[in-house]
Amino acid sequence: MEILPQLILNSVIAGSIYALLALGFNLIFGTVKFFDLGYGALTTVGGYVVFWFGKKLGLPTIPSVIIGVLVAGVLGFIIYKLVYQKLRERRASSMILLVASLGVLTLVQAIIAMIFSSQFQTLSRSAGTRHLFHIGTGVITDVQVIIFASSIIIMVGLGLLLKFTTLGKAIRAIGDDEEVSKVVGINTTKIIGYVFFIGSAIAGLAGILVGFDTGIEPVMGLNLLLKGVIAAIIGGVGNVYGGVAGAFLLGFVENFGIWKIAAEWKDAIAFGVLILFLLFKPNGLFGRK
Amino acid sequence: MNKVVLWIIILIVVIGGIWLIVANKDNVPEASAEPIKIGFIGPLTGDLANIGANAKAAVEIAVNEVNAAGGIDGRSIEVVYEDGACAGATAANAVTKLINIDKVPAIIGAACSGETLASAPIAEQGKTVLLSYCSTNPAITTAGDYIFRSVPSDSFQGNFAANHIFTNLSKKKVAVIFINNEWGTGIKNAFTKAYQDLGGQVVLSESYEPTSADLRTQMSKVKTSGAELVYFAGQTDGTITGLKQAKELGITLPFFGADSWDDTKVWSELGAIGNGAMFTTVGSNNTEEFKAKMAEKVGPDNIIYCSNYAYDNIHLMANVMKEVGIDATAIKDALYNVNYTGGVGVDPLKFDANGDPVSANYVIKVVKDGKADVMTQ
Repeated sequence: MEILPQLILNSVIAGSIYALLALGFNLIFGTVKFFDLGYGALTTVGGYVVFWFGKKLGLPTIPSVIIGVLVAGVLGFIIYKLVYQKLRERRASSMILLVASLGVLTLVQAIIAMIFSSQFQTLSRSAGTRHLFHIGTGVITDVQVIIFASSIIIMVGLGLLLKFTTLGKAIRAIGDDEEVSKVVGINTTKIIGYVFFIGSAIAGLAGILVGFDTGIEPVMGLNLLLKGVIAAIIGGVGNVYGGVAGAFLLGFVENFGIWKIAAEWKDAIAFGVLILFLLFKPNGLFGRK
Repeated sequence: MNKVVLWIIILIVVIGGIWLIVANKDNVPEASAEPIKIGFIGPLTGDLANIGANAKAAVEIAVNEVNAAGGIDGRSIEVVYEDGACAGATAANAVTKLINIDKVPAIIGAACSGETLASAPIAEQGKTVLLSYCSTNPAITTAGDYIFRSVPSDSFQGNFAANHIFTNLSKKKVAVIFINNEWGTGIKNAFTKAYQDLGGQVVLSESYEPTSADLRTQMSKVKTSGAELVYFAGQTDGTITGLKQAKELGITLPFFGADSWDDTKVWSELGAIGNGAMFTTVGSNNTEEFKAKMAEKVGPDNIIYCSNYAYDNIHLMANVMKEVGIDATAIKDALYNVNYTGGVGVDPLKFDANGDPVSANYVIKVVKDGKADVMTQ
């Protein structure tokens, strides 16, 4: 049983990453009601911006990360303005928006691969000199603690934003019914722009943290996105707290599942859980609030 | 509806016409001053891109040398480089293009066993010689009449490693981690069988996907497995991440790898984390001249063994073409009878009836301070 603490820690780490992704994804989906696959690309963007500023230009870590998060947010906002807003004005169906977002994902990935090569890169410069925390027989690094802390902070922050601020209420209103929101006088275009900025910034942060923990490569976006989507669906799409719960559930099921089964089945287990949920509890654990 | 049908018919006629004209062009005999094309497949992108680039540099050096010495009966050789990306599907596309469009009689390729195994049936069917410079999976031995390789099969490498670990290092319990592709599975099987035949115990056998960059779970299992050593048949990216995560988890066991660890990128990236890692790799005979020319292209102390064999393959191919011309079947028949000496890979290079090299020479390298050097016993 001595592997148990490590398994729990691994589950928490994985759950935190998925939670970050689910948070941003839920925010966007809850508002505009379409699957934004381009969201995955922004994790990659965040990671590579930090790579550029941190490793290539030599900036210290904190400024690079801040720049990375902001660039990801701004890029998400620009993509919304250039692509999604126009399509939504023309009343494009969710299918078309999905395909458009897939195009965005592929395009961004390809551009990054062209500029940076498709090789796997690491973000941390001081490899191997990480601070380690021992919990029982388990070990967790400082980056992983930051990942966990970030997911909790952002979950709480987003929850507070949505509940108490005017912006948050406007976002929830649009999520409930966009037409009526417009009638009531909410500038939906501007608010949705903010939503994309915040959601994309969260995605960028997730990508950066994964980059520090393991590394970045141009195709990392899709896999992270899919896990975030699974977490969001399990928790109930559109529900901020549900997404986080779903994320940690997914993290635990994955890691405990491969305790006895070979590790290569991790992704299969994740998608298996998704299918089970879609069959028996399509509204997820918490459903639409 | 009629208009649409009409356009479709016109389109078919136009395309058909262009096809006929282009196809007839092939019947015109080539001018004898045109360069001879040879194909090259390697992982120019992806996990093993460093190995691919290194081999490409060696090939370029060899081609320059051949052409500077007059080429083949006055015709220079020109290599068409295609990316296999260490993936079967990509390599299959590459070999199809080389055979059908470039119409090469021979292909120097590939590096990854997955690439070669996917290319072999296509090359065999297209009666094109495929001469690998780095693929070690045992299944390639029986891949076809036109399929050759200048590096030995992993059935030997597995044996060699098992013997060394069990007898010389006296480790009786081993945890095996391997990459889930043709090469990784092949050497895992060869090593496991040889090690168990000697009496050793494999306490854990876990794979990782080529696309996954996270080996934390596998390493967590290693930590509690009770192993005395970890046999890590990993490729570049997985090794870098895996060894880092193993260190983070506090694993102090010795790590032993296979020929893919000859990729210099692994150790330069890992730095001090790699200290003490050992691995088997195919031996080579670096000459000062070869080292100098490679240093010019890829920097000093940066020769991966696949490049030696790629370099030899080009020279060997040039020699054979000088003797028997550029017909693929003639080249194939000649290869079974060659005796190539003075190479920087293995000396002499001869093929057995299966297209495998007749001799296998392995060395053990140890890593210190970002570099791997042959272990002095």
